[in-house]
Amino acid sequence: MPAIRNRIRELRAAREMTQQQLADQVGVTRQTVIAMEQDKYSPSLETAFKVALALGVTLEQCFQYEPRGKR
Amino acid sequence: MALSYREKSLYASLLAELVVYSSYFVLRRQNSVDKVAAMILAIIVLQIVLQAIIALFSRNRVTDERDRLIELRGYRAGYLTFATLMVMGLALLWFHATFGHLPINNGKFGLHFLSVFFGMLVIADIVKTATQIVTYRRAL
Repeated sequence: MPAIRNRIRELRAAREMTQQQLADQVGVTRQTVIAMEQDKYSPSLETAFKVALALGVTLEQCFQYEPRGKR
Repeated sequence: MALSYREKSLYASLLAELVVYSSYFVLRRQNSVDKVAAMILAIIVLQIVLQAIIALFSRNRVTDERDRLIELRGYRAGYLTFATLMVMGLALLWFHATFGHLPINNGKFGLHFLSVFFGMLVIADIVKTATQIVTYRRAL
């Protein structure tokens, strides 16, 4: 399991936003949004901030860090 | 299977590499400088044509940080393959030269040298592209 988890899918669905719309706002491909939602890709800090901004939440509300040893 | 612009481009690259380079492996006994030059020219032309077709039919041509990360992974795999093959190739050439199968003052040595190193480049290039495709399919 990855150390960085996110709530992108849940937050995006709540805003009735498509993956493509989020991708366009953040400036990434739809495939990257899919990879992030599936927790297969941890974005850079800059992209993480852009995602949070696009979803209208803070970084902490969107991304959570769980150290590997603590699970 | 939804493919991004970069993925489509990689599949086209792999296709071009396999089509053009397969002649290198299939017809390896007739290697010559002209054949290597023709293959390099063919791969450039084929790549330009295929990439132009993909660009024409791709509405969204965005590339992002994940694309760059995957590209780097591909180059790393290609470099490691090339470095490994280089050591093996040099050892092979040394073996042939030392044990008299391929005298260094023989005209064939240059061609043999060219063939071996071109083969390494071909394999490393294919490994690079294949690694990028596999990494895309695994999401990362």
